[in-house]
Amino acid sequence: MSRIRKYRIGPACLVAASMALPLTTIAGEVGDIQWHGYLTSAFMVSSDGNYSGDVSDAGGAKDTRLGLNISTQVDESLSFAAQIKGKGTEDFIMELDWAFASYNVSEVMTLRFGKIKYPVGMYNEFIDVGYTYPWIRPPEGFYNQDAVGPNLTRVSYQGFGADFSTYSGDTELGFSLFGGVVDVPDGHVNQLIGAKFSVNMEDEIRFELSANTGVMEVDNSEGRQMMMDGERHTTYTAGIIVDRTNFIFSSEFGQAIMGRKIAGNRPMDMTSGYAMMGYRMGEYMPHITWEQWDVDGGWGQEVIGVGVRKELTTNSALKLEVRQVTPETTPKPAGGLGLFSDVPTEKDVTIVGVAIEMVF
Amino acid sequence: MKIIVYRLTILAVLWMVSLAAYADDVVVIVHPSNALTEISVSDVKKIYLGKKKFFPGGEKVIPGDQPKGTQSRKFFYGGIIGKSEAKLKSYWSRLIFTGKGTPPKIIGFDRVVKEWVAGQPKAMGYIMRSEADDTVKILDLK
Repeated sequence: MSRIRKYRIGPACLVAASMALPLTTIAGEVGDIQWHGYLTSAFMVSSDGNYSGDVSDAGGAKDTRLGLNISTQVDESLSFAAQIKGKGTEDFIMELDWAFASYNVSEVMTLRFGKIKYPVGMYNEFIDVGYTYPWIRPPEGFYNQDAVGPNLTRVSYQGFGADFSTYSGDTELGFSLFGGVVDVPDGHVNQLIGAKFSVNMEDEIRFELSANTGVMEVDNSEGRQMMMDGERHTTYTAGIIVDRTNFIFSSEFGQAIMGRKIAGNRPMDMTSGYAMMGYRMGEYMPHITWEQWDVDGGWGQEVIGVGVRKELTTNSALKLEVRQVTPETTPKPAGGLGLFSDVPTEKDVTIVGVAIEMVF
Repeated sequence: MKIIVYRLTILAVLWMVSLAAYADDVVVIVHPSNALTEISVSDVKKIYLGKKKFFPGGEKVIPGDQPKGTQSRKFFYGGIIGKSEAKLKSYWSRLIFTGKGTPPKIIGFDRVVKEWVAGQPKAMGYIMRSEADDTVKILDLK
């Protein structure tokens, strides 16, 4: 994992920082340099101790995180931007999230190169910035970047991106090409190449289609991950967000194809999808989400979640969330089921969370 | 219940009409040397949302903003751009934290924006119509 300098920041420091920051915009500029940041203070608890998504039955603040972002415009065409982050799920170690240079070739075309946020999924590029979406955690089956097996999304990749955009009236049509290498836990996805097509109707309706492929390289010489070494990994996704007046709807569907067969000659392919509906009522937005995640090898989970988001100021929000996770398996494989490390003690596991999100 | 819904609907309509009416009190201004005399609302939206970096004539544009809370900003974003402060913050957060864009610079209140535009040939700003004078050019919105 490419980490620049590592700093250990305890959850207490993050909470203290959130309390010290005023609830107003404090983003500033020094010369041509702009800096911004985001902060999440979160607490989640599960009714079962075997949930492997960093939520324990004793509760914890693993979703607490802080990010700092810096950008500068070198001239009319060239700009640099970088972001560091520290997350509870990664032991609060500050690391480089992404850093890249952008060159605006024209109004239609922008080139990027460096370490770039993975552009698959409607929320993935800003998934740590909780202020920008309704949930405390976006649907984990779709956005679970560290799961063993094929994944739809990743954290970032090292390589290039070419973004094209044009307009038909007020509708923006976008096309992106990207390629390079992805760092994953205990390995890499090499020879990554992908494309994304998007339609944006004045930010009220956004639609995306993506496809990408790469070859897995697994450093770990033990365990189930080793089976994926040298396998081609191909992913397709489709997503839509409707955000019109007070109504918001979001849905995505994706399939990851690994080719590798396990558990009685069953393919290790994975599909995941979700649908979320919410309605803004003044400062409050209640929402409901259904999610399904299936791995053809024999495990998966269904999730029903309800939550409410309350706007505190124009740059901060409070979130409350309850999710019911139902693991599904036939039969139970050796590595776990759903996002559980072992068979849960209950048929349905309840996860409760509260968070304060902020951007500055 | 019907009466409450009726009254809320009337209030909502009046609020939207008032923002649209107040939007006429805000004007989009550029440097007097700028060849443009008019600009579409669609282009103003794209420029202030970071989707367009050039004037319709092809020259580079530098949009200038006002701080939160000013009357001009409220009418400009509510009546012309069509985004609330919360939606605007969410929109820019998505761009900032992916390195894809930064919001227009906060220049200051009406008088400061007018002086900045008057001294910057690539500038675009917005101020209350009553604050405009011949040191800047008002663009007609079409």
